[in-house]
Amino acid sequence: MSKMEDYDGPILEIEKLSISFFTRLREIPAVMDFSVAVQPGEAVGLVGESGCGKSTVALGVMQDLGKNGRVVGGTIKFKGRDLAQMSRKELRGIRGNEIAMIYQEPMASLNPAMKIGKQLMEVPMIHEGVSEKEAYQRALEVVTDVRLPDPERMLNSFPHQLSGGQQQRIVIAMALMSKPSLLILDEPTTALDVTVEAAVVELVKDLGKKYGTSMLFISHNLGLVLETCDRLCVMYSGEAVERGSIHDVFDEMQHPYTQALFRSIPLPGADKNSRPLVAIPGNFPLPHERPPGCNFGPRCDYFEQGRCDQDMVIPMSPVHGNDRHETRCLRFQEIDWNAPITLGEQKEKTAPGKVVLKMENLKKYYEVAANALFGGGDKKVVKANETLSFEARESETLAIVGESGCGKSTFAKVLMGLETATEGQILLDNRNIEQIPIEERDTKTISDVQMVFQNPFDTLNPSMTVGRQIMRALEIFGIGNSEAERRKRMLELLDLVKLPRAFADRMPRQLSGGQKQRVGIARAFAGGARIVVADEPVSALDVSVQAAVTDLLMEIQRKEKTTLLFISHDLSIVRYLSDRVMVMYLGHVVELGTTDQVFAPPYHPYTEALLSAVPIADTSVEKEHIVLEGDIPSAMNPPPGCPFQTRCRWKSEVPGNLCEREVPPQHQLEDGHQIKCHLSDEVLERMKPVIKVAAE
Amino acid sequence: MEPLSAIEIAGRIVYQLSPVWISLVILYAASIGFKRRLGLYGKLFDSPIGMIGFGLVMFWVFTGVYGAMDMIITHDPLSQLSGMKNKVPGTPLRNPEEGQYQWYLLGGDNLARDVFSRLVKGAWEVIKIAPMAAVFAFMVGITLGLPAGYYGGRLDTILSFAANLILAFPVILLFYLLVTPEIVATGVPNYMAIVLFVFPIIFVGVLLNSRYYTRPKLRNWMLPLVLGTIIWFYLQLVSNGGYLINTPEYAIWGLPRAMDMFDIPGGILVVFVSVVFVNSPTVFRIVRGLTLDIKTRDYVAAAQTRGEGPWYIMLWEILPNARGPLIVDFCLRIGYTTILLGTLGFFGLGLPPESPDWGSTINDGRKLLSIYLHPALPPAFALLTLVLGLNLLADGLREESLRD
Repeated sequence: MSKMEDYDGPILEIEKLSISFFTRLREIPAVMDFSVAVQPGEAVGLVGESGCGKSTVALGVMQDLGKNGRVVGGTIKFKGRDLAQMSRKELRGIRGNEIAMIYQEPMASLNPAMKIGKQLMEVPMIHEGVSEKEAYQRALEVVTDVRLPDPERMLNSFPHQLSGGQQQRIVIAMALMSKPSLLILDEPTTALDVTVEAAVVELVKDLGKKYGTSMLFISHNLGLVLETCDRLCVMYSGEAVERGSIHDVFDEMQHPYTQALFRSIPLPGADKNSRPLVAIPGNFPLPHERPPGCNFGPRCDYFEQGRCDQDMVIPMSPVHGNDRHETRCLRFQEIDWNAPITLGEQKEKTAPGKVVLKMENLKKYYEVAANALFGGGDKKVVKANETLSFEARESETLAIVGESGCGKSTFAKVLMGLETATEGQILLDNRNIEQIPIEERDTKTISDVQMVFQNPFDTLNPSMTVGRQIMRALEIFGIGNSEAERRKRMLELLDLVKLPRAFADRMPRQLSGGQKQRVGIARAFAGGARIVVADEPVSALDVSVQAAVTDLLMEIQRKEKTTLLFISHDLSIVRYLSDRVMVMYLGHVVELGTTDQVFAPPYHPYTEALLSAVPIADTSVEKEHIVLEGDIPSAMNPPPGCPFQTRCRWKSEVPGNLCEREVPPQHQLEDGHQIKCHLSDEVLERMKPVIKVAAE
Repeated sequence: MEPLSAIEIAGRIVYQLSPVWISLVILYAASIGFKRRLGLYGKLFDSPIGMIGFGLVMFWVFTGVYGAMDMIITHDPLSQLSGMKNKVPGTPLRNPEEGQYQWYLLGGDNLARDVFSRLVKGAWEVIKIAPMAAVFAFMVGITLGLPAGYYGGRLDTILSFAANLILAFPVILLFYLLVTPEIVATGVPNYMAIVLFVFPIIFVGVLLNSRYYTRPKLRNWMLPLVLGTIIWFYLQLVSNGGYLINTPEYAIWGLPRAMDMFDIPGGILVVFVSVVFVNSPTVFRIVRGLTLDIKTRDYVAAAQTRGEGPWYIMLWEILPNARGPLIVDFCLRIGYTTILLGTLGFFGLGLPPESPDWGSTINDGRKLLSIYLHPALPPAFALLTLVLGLNLLADGLREESLRD
């Protein structure tokens, strides 16, 4: 089927859309009274927390709501035609042809049993009936467009032979094969590493311009939306709460939820002591337990009883003076939007105490047999950790930053005793523990070093009550002499993480992600842990919850004088809460220093790229654009010399082929700031700051 | 007296089964009434397929239990009444005695026994063996599958190889070997029973100890009590007439007769052992696969980092979270076991020749199938409905456990 004839109205026009899912018990409204328009060539961002209905809107546009989902009101018009009125055949002609969708998980969007080329060629062959030869030509063209190296080899490979970033580029290429007029991107970069994400975002932006495609960009990350979109629509609990151009919404927000959202994300300038984040109080309402009136009412600072909670649907009202800027708030004209943030309680900066943990030249190598079945053949060595050295002090937060495959999880495993070190030493209170596996450690050592895990949905045993799990940890650590004592202590731990005591008898599935993470924290502190390894503890949580959980961690740290090893790839949050930062790349520590040292030049070239890649949701921030080419090399087969040399943009500044020949030495700068780089001091001096906050 | 018409037969059978109907109605009323509080079992009553399956299964369970209590049957399943050989359903007795039921509701078989009563008694044969055999197969499979999946490596290789070896062996041939009198005389089935029935003891012992070793006070009285009881039952199970093994050449003493409350007839023991033996490798594989998957979860890592022992992690962190697929497989496995028992009976293996079990009755009826259909048909239909019920139940459970 060919494309629809030329049309110059809005590409997509959603009006008063309501979508409900029908379950055995009740109707669950997922989207209510939602309107948005996408003009030709425009990129519209759809932002909100998980469960707010943003993906449902995308599925509604694709008319793919499944068995129990149904549009119960409103219209979705594509190029002026109502999608609901179309026959299945017409819809088939539009899907993948006029409207293309890119999903979060690239591997799940590609057919693993089919070569890339074949999958790409299918699109024009089905929709436009072009010949195989022409389709191949087009596939080649598009793969070149998404900047993949060696397009012909790419077309001839299977999805599993590519890396995650390459796969996502192929998915984008597939979406572009039919030159669609509308591209729906549903969290397209969430599964990717930051530097890869930055490259993909850059690509999407450029392609949007080149092909003139309109985009609907769904994301929970305000920074990403700022970088990619022209207009923005903020959703909360199934409704659009604010809509307008990026600059209007970012700089002149007119809805309390938008404001609260911005205050809960760590922007440059936020600081855990002097300017702590403001978490949104309360929880996201369940779809069938929404309050009357304004959905955000119960969590809103500007809530007015009798007005915000009257039983009516609050309409969108236009904000005068701005272009198509609307908000769903009854009081937006009364609120002083420029009022300074009432500062939360300011805290004393705690001074780090004595050294608790010390690592010296820690190495962890894995041997992988080339032939797994018979054990013969050459053995390959994977160098997961190379000469790690650092110290951590009491009540200090040391952030360990790096992307997947940088060896941070291996390091955590060695520290916890799940693996033993190959070389070097780990000193806990001046005792060597690197060769003691966890079974041989005494209870005190085990309870001293504990861990908080990343995935809240995986961190608790789903078939045991919350209280039981914490009590089990107490039992193992030998705390309390009787059940009653342990129960009492468990309830105190629930108080510590600010959960109601009634949660003790709940099953994990009855808790939200943030609550589960709190239980995980309570469990880690059950034995009075002195060192807590937090492995991306908030990365899987929604922004408004992130702030609350981060604050909780900080508060407990302050109280218990814990040493926190905070593993993360999110530099905004690292900057907010850590005292010192260690940047890792392919098993090497490439930079180590205090937070201020690491976030200001001179940088290690990798840190520089990482800083540039992190999206920042602030229009006043200017970033230097550094896009790293290629993917992170595999730890099985690292490049010779400096691990970062394959992607480094400063490589030409080093004379000779030094970077390709030798692993750089630890370069000591002032005050214990160290960088693993061959660059000379003069070159390092020349580096400019990546992030600049424009003068107001 | 006149023979009964088809409607009268049906009416009388329904009447005979009235305790079963009453029990079913009570069970369903109670279950549907409280379904929101009963977890997965309660959810079963949201699925029509699950309800039908559960109904079929419970019908046979009640029939078997009441039959064993001599409530439903109309005649003694073993006694032969003169003149009733191969008589069609509804035939009245020739010389009914005082108080005797006057008809053979489903006719007589080729030895003039009442088909209906044998059918009901046959249900008990299945109900008493199949679920127990499945339980034992699960104990063996779980106790070996968990460490194989959790530790991996050489242990996994060896155990998986052994499992494959058993699975590769033709089942019927294995049964023929096991019930051959010469082999029985060497005591092989008894040795197998001694080994296979140890697994529940290991399972329960490790289960309790791994959890309660942190609370010695509780553990020190609970563990001996529980294990003592189980070991006592185990010894009763494996020792017969005061002997563990009793062959012409030698004998091994077992539990004294005074402490032995029950004896398992040799034939049933052989059937039991062989069914457990061929079923456990499949369970082993399922458990191993699930363990491989679940051991990568964060809560397992959390348990490791707080220094839990491997058996605690396997039995309390991994096993409970593998329960969904295991419950479904348990239902299916009872079904397979039922078929296996039918097959064994059909070949006349293990059980005594006059046994009313369905497999044997089908085999008896088969010989005159072209002339008299009625002795073979009811047990075949019974076997079909029970297995169908179990499969539907498993389907319902799978469907419901995946929802919400």
